[in-house]
Amino acid sequence: MFEKSLYDLIRGLRTHKGTEKEYIADSIKECRKEIRTNDMDLKSTALMKLTYLEMFGHDMSWASFNVLEVMSSPKYRHKRTAYLAAVQSFRRDTEVLMLAENQLKKDVTSPTPTVISLPLGAIPHVINPSMANSLLSDLLPRLTHSHPSIRKKTVGTLYRLALVYPETLRPAWPKIKERLQDVNEDPSVTAAIVNVVCELGWRRPQDFLPLAPRLFDLLVEGNNNWMAIKLIKLFATLTPLEPRLIKKLLPPLTKIIRETSAMSLLYECINGIIQGGILEAVEGTADGEEVAKLCVGKLRGMMVIEGDANLKYVALLAFEKIVRSHPHLVSQQQDVILECIDDPDISIRMRALDLVVGMVNSENLTAIIGRLMRQLRNAPIASSADTPSNDRGRLTGVTPYAESDDSDAEESLRPHEQRSNHAPPLPEDYRINVIRRTLEMCSRDTYANITDFEWYIDVLIQLVRVTPSTKSTSAVDYDEDTEHTDDIGRSIGRELQNVAVRVKSVRSEAVDAAQSLVLVDRRDQMFPSSGNGGQGVLEYAGWLVGEYSNYLSSPEGIMNSLMHPLSLQLSSRTLAVYLQAVPKVFASMSGNEQISWTPERKSLMTLLMARIIHFLEPLSSHPSLEVQERSVEYLELMRLAAEAASGTAPGNENEGFTDPPLLLTQAIPALFSGAELNPVAPGAQRKVPMPEDLDLDTPINPNLRMLLANAELESFQTDEDDVYAAYSEPIASYTSNNESAPAISASERLDAPNKEPTSYQNAVEEEYLDPDIIARRKAERRERNKDDPFYIDPEGDRGSGTVTPLGQIVREGNVGNVDSDIDNIPIMDLDLANRGGDEIMRVRSPRSPRRSAARRVEIIGDETLGPGDMDSAREDIVVPKLDRGKGKKSLLDVDSSGLASLSLNDDGDVPGRKMTQLDIERKEQEEAEMKKALLEVERLRLEMQRASERLEARGEQTVVRKKKKKARKVEVEDDSADAGAGNGIMEADNEGEASSPAKKKKKKKVKPADGQGAPEDKDKDKEEGEVDTPKKKKKKKRRVVLDDQVPSVQ
Amino acid sequence: MINAVLVFNNAGQPRLTKFYTQLDTSVQQRLISEIFTLVANRPNSACNFLPLPPLLASSSKSSTPTTPHNDTPSLVTYRHYATLYFIIISTSTESPLALLDLIQVFVQALDGLFENVCELDLIFNFETLHATLGELIVGGVVVETQLDKVVEGVKAQGRVAKRPVNEGKGGLSLAGFGRGDGVWAGR
Repeated sequence: MFEKSLYDLIRGLRTHKGTEKEYIADSIKECRKEIRTNDMDLKSTALMKLTYLEMFGHDMSWASFNVLEVMSSPKYRHKRTAYLAAVQSFRRDTEVLMLAENQLKKDVTSPTPTVISLPLGAIPHVINPSMANSLLSDLLPRLTHSHPSIRKKTVGTLYRLALVYPETLRPAWPKIKERLQDVNEDPSVTAAIVNVVCELGWRRPQDFLPLAPRLFDLLVEGNNNWMAIKLIKLFATLTPLEPRLIKKLLPPLTKIIRETSAMSLLYECINGIIQGGILEAVEGTADGEEVAKLCVGKLRGMMVIEGDANLKYVALLAFEKIVRSHPHLVSQQQDVILECIDDPDISIRMRALDLVVGMVNSENLTAIIGRLMRQLRNAPIASSADTPSNDRGRLTGVTPYAESDDSDAEESLRPHEQRSNHAPPLPEDYRINVIRRTLEMCSRDTYANITDFEWYIDVLIQLVRVTPSTKSTSAVDYDEDTEHTDDIGRSIGRELQNVAVRVKSVRSEAVDAAQSLVLVDRRDQMFPSSGNGGQGVLEYAGWLVGEYSNYLSSPEGIMNSLMHPLSLQLSSRTLAVYLQAVPKVFASMSGNEQISWTPERKSLMTLLMARIIHFLEPLSSHPSLEVQERSVEYLELMRLAAEAASGTAPGNENEGFTDPPLLLTQAIPALFSGAELNPVAPGAQRKVPMPEDLDLDTPINPNLRMLLANAELESFQTDEDDVYAAYSEPIASYTSNNESAPAISASERLDAPNKEPTSYQNAVEEEYLDPDIIARRKAERRERNKDDPFYIDPEGDRGSGTVTPLGQIVREGNVGNVDSDIDNIPIMDLDLANRGGDEIMRVRSPRSPRRSAARRVEIIGDETLGPGDMDSAREDIVVPKLDRGKGKKSLLDVDSSGLASLSLNDDGDVPGRKMTQLDIERKEQEEAEMKKALLEVERLRLEMQRASERLEARGEQTVVRKKKKKARKVEVEDDSADAGAGNGIMEADNEGEASSPAKKKKKKKVKPADGQGAPEDKDKDKEEGEVDTPKKKKKKKRRVVLDDQVPSVQ
Repeated sequence: MINAVLVFNNAGQPRLTKFYTQLDTSVQQRLISEIFTLVANRPNSACNFLPLPPLLASSSKSSTPTTPHNDTPSLVTYRHYATLYFIIISTSTESPLALLDLIQVFVQALDGLFENVCELDLIFNFETLHATLGELIVGGVVVETQLDKVVEGVKAQGRVAKRPVNEGKGGLSLAGFGRGDGVWAGR
């Protein structure tokens, strides 16, 4: 015999460095052989080895039947191995689960505690509803097992049973409650029950209110910190339902906060006070102030004094929970929270980021964004090469490598925390998250927090440069573009577009920004140096340069960039936008009718059109349909225009003004100008009322068929002429310029708060904006303020920085210099005509001492009809869509939603249990089923009676067992049917299982809680009960009828 | 509740995997490697809470912040002891700081059982490792937090084997095995 033990296997793995794969394959082959033998020891060893290898990802599902075989071994050692194997390898679809049921039942009822523990630990992993139904009856008695360790594990097991099969709680909950109420119960069991109650509690807190007194006692008297934490968590869900609890809870909670030495308990106390709404409840009272101060003070202490990263993290978690309800409390701690944004630990940063999004306002926005931008700018963009190479799962199949460093493995675990000390690089998803949050903060409530839109545009430009690259680089695959709808570059672009459309006063700046993004020769400068990050922004920049082409400073340059060969490599979506932009820019270049149609002008235009045609031609066979369609359309238009241009004779220099072709000056521009584009709320279209006289049924022209037939007959040539004629006609009704559009009724006037700490902002800006952006900003600022007597030009050469021109003159005058430059007197420089009077007034008004950027910014809101819900509207436009994974359940998710519909507190007057139509129907159905079942039971009872007369005790046993299964089912249905039954009945019902039917009947009528049939000798009683089940069923039927009347009587 | 307990070493090799939800083996392995990637890059000073790994994060994003509790795992807590990482994935009903203590209890219990526990003990006695966890957590619910009771519960299940120290000394060519006991005692 040569069999490997687990030791041998592990040792073998460690010696076969480099050839583990073969070694494992061999070992599994051996195991296959060993597991088929009849030697239980061998089987069990093989199973053990397979379980070990399963940990490394080697499938052992094929051995599931063998698992059962070993499970049935009488030896504890074998059982233990098999149960472990079952837990680790059984999956939802494991077929032998049905067979396992009997073995589980058998082991649960074993007399040996250690054997009972095995199924108790395994059942939660393998349970399904039908199994839960049948195992329940065997598990329930374990709640009163003499060993506390069995009792506490049973509680945990029953909880998982309830998750898959909520009906479990009907019989189990009264028993668990009884355990909880028992003052003499083992503290471990009580703690375990509290844990389970806490898990159940948040689903249906109202059911647990009656327990509050006992739970309160446990909180005050029990000195178990673990349990106290859970109790506080539970109370936090109860207090919203029972405000009186708050008064009672407050003293012990504050006492714990003041006295406890356990930081976790302290934290959970604060958390409980926050989550339970206690802060709100006591607000305004002296007590409340004290509590709030205490909590926030302690949280602050966690962040500052301790210097413990974990405390910092949880304190941020707690702040996040109160930021919505108590923003003022959180904003007091702004200093420490903002520090956390720059914490070296990514986890803490993420928390802080989530938190600041909630606490941002117009005052701190620039500071917060500044911090974030600095982070993004200063950390290099991680390339794909930076991802950790030790990502085992992705690179190779999973194999347990031989230990390369046994010395490490021998190291005692006690010496804590020995880690490498290098700081992590900024991960990509964090980077994207920061950008996303930045956009979210800035765009909140239609830019309510932004005072300076030029700053915002610069921020957006800077964001493009720090955008990490996206995975997809190919230009062709149009389909997968839909998957990247939340590409961060596009989100930035969307913002730029949004600002340009909504805020007219900075439209030219926004278009400038878009222009600089689109220009090919500036691309290196504007985008991240490596990767294709931020390319998504081009889609929106392309739209902007087209739509607002009259703002462009160099349309020629833009034209060149749009038609640059590099454009062909862009995604088809962007390319389509570019195609639309080309004729728009062309229209603005050629559409000027003031320029005489000279030979130079003609050749310039002809050349331009030839280039456009040259660019469009190959694209008319582009794989993307959108690109193809647009290029074909504009190609035809351009050919037409070229024809028109060549057909119009140019005038000579000396002949004076010659009209350019109308197609160029009127027709093409008219295609793109027209009504001003305004942001429209997503739901607005739906709110447009249907005109009453709208008739969609009557054909407009009764001769439609004829017309269509005629149209087909018409020659192409005449068709073209018609089109030409249409284009040549002058169109006067359209406004040619966007700027002259009338004011929008839906526009929303926002007075920017007069706050912009210029000097402070300057200092911050330099740290997060690139030098070229800063230089431009400075120049702009100087330009804007050059007439402002109060503006101190930092680079001005008029003496020291603090001397104003006026002061300088005075000073010079004092010195005695009579030749002082009169021009320096600032009043002379004021040119009122060039500035809005309104603005000057504002600058000088005492109400706004800070003069810079105190401009009124008009932000156009969404156009809609009637009251629109702005929230959803804004979300749709600005916030990148996050709900892609919606509906998908998380991997480790344990669904407990079934519990929500099950009331534990079955009093007839619980409002939540009002019967719906569905309930009634179900009840009727169940009753019908029960009638059928009762007949069956009756039949079986007779059969059994006959059998018991005929057979010996042993034979009887088997019959009973079989019957019991059926009867059980009936009982459960019965329970669910009488939803109106009282709690007392529930208890009685379960005790009844162990009592005689006669007693049962009596109890039902009287509803006594003192339990006439105290369950003393469980096993014996149970047997009795089993035999009696049929009779009991019959009685139950009567009870149902009785209960039906109860609610109506009450 | 607790969704999973994982133990792996500094190289990402699993030493204990326990999922309280049934998951495909391949998905388990992916999750382990994702968490390992997250955890391995963390500096000493960092806190013991991880951002959600991509496998878990995708769905949790969609959950609205208005529901404070749900069944979705939202907390990944870890602790690093010498060569091993201990990880607990849990929902928001668990207290983050208490989970850190729970890991501590787990390790202390192992230490009590093996006397100066080290990774090798856990490799060779992975059944005991599971048994210890089984005393602490049943079906994702913490059932015991008292150190002595956990140790007692495991011992009741049978003798706890020691690591095969002598085999290493007995001339078997196991790399790095032949080191004296004194090394293990060194903390």
